Amino acid sequence: MYWNRPARQSFKHHTTPRCSPKGETLDFRARLIMFLLASLTATLAACNRQPSTDKETVALIPMGSTDEFWKSVHAGGVQASQKLGVNIIWQGPIRRDDRTAQIDVVESMIVRGVKGIVLAPIDNMALRAPVEDAYRNKIPVVIIDSNLNSDKSVSFVATDNYKGGVMAGEHMIKLLSGKGRVAMLRNVEGSASTDNRERGFLDALKNAPGIKVVSSNLYAGATTESAYKQSENLLAPLKTAQGEIGLDGIFCPNESSAFGMLRALQDGDLTGKVKFIGFDSSEKLVEGLERGHMDALVVQDPVRMGYLGVEKLVAHIHGKKIEKRIDVPATLVTRENLKEKSIKELVAPDIKKWLAE
Amino acid sequence: MNKQLKDWMNKLMPLAALILVYLIFAFIAPPSFISLKNLELIVRQTTIVGIASLGMTLVIIGGGIDLSVGSIVALVTVAIAWLLMTGSSPLVAALGGVLTGLLCGLINGALITRLKLVPFIITLGTLLVYRGCAKGLAHEQKIDAPLSWINELLAALKPEQSWMLVPGGVWLLILLAICVTLVLRYTRFGLYTFSIGSNEQASRLCGVPIEKVKLLIYGISGLFAGFAGLMQFSRLTVGDPTVASGLELDVIAAVVIGGGSLAGGEGSVLGTILGALIMTVIRSGCTQMGLSNWVQEIVTGIIIVVAVVLDRMRHSQKP
Repeated sequence: MYWNRPARQSFKHHTTPRCSPKGETLDFRARLIMFLLASLTATLAACNRQPSTDKETVALIPMGSTDEFWKSVHAGGVQASQKLGVNIIWQGPIRRDDRTAQIDVVESMIVRGVKGIVLAPIDNMALRAPVEDAYRNKIPVVIIDSNLNSDKSVSFVATDNYKGGVMAGEHMIKLLSGKGRVAMLRNVEGSASTDNRERGFLDALKNAPGIKVVSSNLYAGATTESAYKQSENLLAPLKTAQGEIGLDGIFCPNESSAFGMLRALQDGDLTGKVKFIGFDSSEKLVEGLERGHMDALVVQDPVRMGYLGVEKLVAHIHGKKIEKRIDVPATLVTRENLKEKSIKELVAPDIKKWLAE
Repeated sequence: MNKQLKDWMNKLMPLAALILVYLIFAFIAPPSFISLKNLELIVRQTTIVGIASLGMTLVIIGGGIDLSVGSIVALVTVAIAWLLMTGSSPLVAALGGVLTGLLCGLINGALITRLKLVPFIITLGTLLVYRGCAKGLAHEQKIDAPLSWINELLAALKPEQSWMLVPGGVWLLILLAICVTLVLRYTRFGLYTFSIGSNEQASRLCGVPIEKVKLLIYGISGLFAGFAGLMQFSRLTVGDPTVASGLELDVIAAVVIGGGSLAGGEGSVLGTILGALIMTVIRSGCTQMGLSNWVQEIVTGIIIVVAVVLDRMRHSQKP
């Protein structure tokens, strides 16, 4: 017991001479360590799929490894790597906001000596230093999805969000035949990608003088829950005393805001009475489209983004010149074209086929 | 086997573990793992946890725990970025950040000694408080800051800097580690720390100024978290209120792997640094092999449990 110890001595010496035979304990300890280390080595060796050395190895680093979106990017990357005969290392932080973990991964890939890196930076500033370090080590970096404030990358492959917004706006004009009242529920303050979609949508509507924007200053917030509440706040003042809605069209610039609005429309028994366009896809949104609760979705193509990222990187490694900015076009999905094979692959890509191996 | 030899064996255990883990990866990871550049990367990636765990070593030797270090690190990165944004010079910003850490630590210490509550509860509370402060100060966003020499502290060395061997931040870690070792070994404060951790009641009866010593211990832990925050900011180049969540667990794990006892009264600086290195080696090896995150987590978890099992076996030998 501690309090039996003499004052100073015991602080330095953890053990007293009186105890069970030490040889035995140490043996047991040594055996325990040996056993654990051996099993560790075996596990690691079993997990280790050492890439064959005759192929070039490139790294594909996403923002997070759990989202559906990034799994699709991974699938696209694998698709490209198989076609081009390169090895691909898929490694990223688990959480989408873990900047340090992503920096660690980029640095490790530089030290590992990969031939190139495809990176979806979590932060447009924090990832500058590692990307510039890669540049000094002559490892080319292709940026995908979100831009980086650095000129040291080879190319930027992403969806033009402004164009996607314009696409939604033009379709809205078509749906309303150029006449009516339209509302837009914004995503969150300070999100560059959705800001551009919102700007594109509003700019497109300016070409139709018959269309009046009745609400465009509400933000949905980060969660589906907050989006639902804000949707109700948006719809409430537009309702007439007779229970009719004084609104002809709605646009939501991302998945969560669109889903919140869809729920609010369904609960308010307003589906079908208002033309509704969303951005990005999910199972629930596609279901809403099928049931006629929504009219269109502007959908990005993450599989293509992953594919193009790897393809362009490999082209650069082989000395070809590639463009600084490569657009991954967004696609308008409606109830009519939902049955087409290419659209089906877009809204529900066959990720398993590529990731199962 | 005599007592001193046994004592040395206990001390060497973390070193042996580090060498073993390194050798295993040298054997199964790609050849780049044993390159000098990777060694530099490993020490760079250890620096943040390493500096914070020096303070934690003191806290744990003193029989306490500090769960708030991760939040302090986040608050410090935000404070530095905020100071830089508002036009302070990098030196002022760095000092301001480190002092923020010291202040947080002193608040911990004051609460623990005044309210007479266990450190676990107090620092669990301040973990949330400091994290909240960081988010509030940053308006729940990251703060971009202009680049300065602070960002060079933990960056990869450029070819013309190769005379430094390792970046400045790593030198800071080494310097601080030596300081803490000397303080623990040769000062009255060091002796008091061990004695409080071994038996607080007996120490009180012997006239050890428990309150003062504890205040100082948590103050130092906060100060070191401040330095760790400076290093974190150096790596991130932005003030990020969500950074380093869960860092306290890495830091505690480093101390425990290095032979520190959560029951207090035991622990060494060298062991702690080795413990921190072991975790980075595992992470680096797994990343370079292209293994998924979950494998690293399982491996690190196993090592922590093994370390604690060894710790308990050491204790069970006492009469």
